[in-house]
Amino acid sequence: MIAHRHILGTFDEALGSLRNNVLMMAGLAERSLERAMKGLTERDDDICANAIADDEEIDQLEIQIDKDGVDILLRFQPVASDLRRVVSAMKLSSNLERIADQATNIARRARKLNQHPPLPEVELILPMNAQAMAMFKDSVDAYVREDVELGRAIVPRDAKLDDLNRVASRRLIERMAQDPEQLRGYLNLMFIGRHLERVGDHATNIAEDAVYAAAAEDIRHQGVAAST
Amino acid sequence: MVNLVMATPERTVIERAERATEPISTSTSESAVPLTFQVKNLSVWYGEKRAIDDVTLDIASNAVTAIIGPSGCGKSTFLRCLNRMHELVPKTRVEGTVLLQGEDLYSSTVDPAIVRRRVGMVFQKSNPFPTMSIGENVIIGLRLNGVRNQKFLNERLEKSLRMAALWDEVKDDQQRLCIARALAVEPEVLLMDEPCSALDPIATAKIEELIHELKAEYTIVTVTHNMQQAGRVSDYTAFFYLGRLIEFGPTTKIFTNPSQRQTEDYITGRFG
Ligand SMILES: Nc1ncnc2c1ncn2[C@@H]1O[C@H](COP(=O)(O)OP(=O)(O)O)[C@@H](O)[C@H]1O
Ligand SMILES: [Mg+2]
Repeated sequence: MIAHRHILGTFDEALGSLRNNVLMMAGLAERSLERAMKGLTERDDDICANAIADDEEIDQLEIQIDKDGVDILLRFQPVASDLRRVVSAMKLSSNLERIADQATNIARRARKLNQHPPLPEVELILPMNAQAMAMFKDSVDAYVREDVELGRAIVPRDAKLDDLNRVASRRLIERMAQDPEQLRGYLNLMFIGRHLERVGDHATNIAEDAVYAAAAEDIRHQGVAAST
Repeated sequence: MVNLVMATPERTVIERAERATEPISTSTSESAVPLTFQVKNLSVWYGEKRAIDDVTLDIASNAVTAIIGPSGCGKSTFLRCLNRMHELVPKTRVEGTVLLQGEDLYSSTVDPAIVRRRVGMVFQKSNPFPTMSIGENVIIGLRLNGVRNQKFLNERLEKSLRMAALWDEVKDDQQRLCIARALAVEPEVLLMDEPCSALDPIATAKIEELIHELKAEYTIVTVTHNMQQAGRVSDYTAFFYLGRLIEFGPTTKIFTNPSQRQTEDYITGRFG
């Protein structure tokens, strides 16, 4: 459904600029995450540094989106789909900021790993990265296209990421016992897995917000509600 | 409670199931909410012009129902039909039924003066009679209804002023005075036609608070142009457009996720 224009043109402009900032933030968070993983797999400290540097701009955008969102609530007192768009933009920005934090964490741990000989167990992290990244990209797509079906489909994908993380952790703990020399390296890999698992959680939140924005439907915690 | 006629007519029971085929929701909820009004297929004409077109709507008791919609969509006309004030306008014609507590408001045995006592109206422009004291203003409604006993009048005066939280205050707050006057005849329902449209923000906030308190005792139907006000004060919202009821439902639903495009465009201020 294509929304009609508002009678107040300034309202359309304000909503448009809020959305553009969210999209910009999503793009930067995605780039930061890609760089962090590249820094890990290619053992390149410069790329890690770039990933960390992205975080500053993302933090600024989050502040800007919050400010603009509050400003729109105050000036235009939006209702219905407008209200949902503002609320979801603000929630999205907070999740994007946390995804970028995870990217920074990954980049920092990658730099530590790069100081030591490569560990073949980095392979355990790659499927997690693929899963988390795909969930993240799809969640942003669901928001951009107001695609309720895509948004809904992301939520159950988080379970697979959790499974991958469990498997990787177990394997890494085994390796710690077998090869205590590299204990810190395995620990760093384990934490990187945990950071990716958090990325999946935030992607799930984004998907839920996308469904809310498009369809006013709250799909959070449905698994919990259904099982009680 | 005052009955509409001397001999209590048999209460009409409307099968809620009848409503199941309605294209849009017109009832307050699935569960049995006590209803003050049941409006069924109401149409109103001024001469040849149809101002209300086949409106079916339930009004819940002890709740605030807001009527919203662009100018000329029939909000005031609809409100006037709830206490038969439309009959004061020449050449009006009404079709359909309005039940008040299950009784047919338009039955030939019903006295319109009694209806207007049970269903009070507060207008857009506050119009206290300027030469009278506050007290006289409040009890004028009773006097107009033929009440002469002075002790009774004084008791009523104090009670309704307290209700309108005016007792200790001065008379600059004219709209609340008008509400007090409407309350003096002890109605069951209060109809308000844009009660805040001429008021400053503080007076508006006081009226809104008053509305909030009054709903414990009264059923309130209010017309408003102010979307935020409808969101703040009402439990249910009805959106009218060109004399038709486009959408009706709980206010939070209407203002977060209306189901009709026309409602969405109107409340968000879009070109329809
Ligand atoms: N006394 C009247 N005589 C003729 N037409 C009227 C009269 N009152 C209202 N109307 C017409 O009926 C329609 C609904 O009016 P009204 O109920 O006052 O709308 P609203 O309160 O939503 O602005 C409008 O087109 C208006 O011009
Ligand atoms: Mg009017």
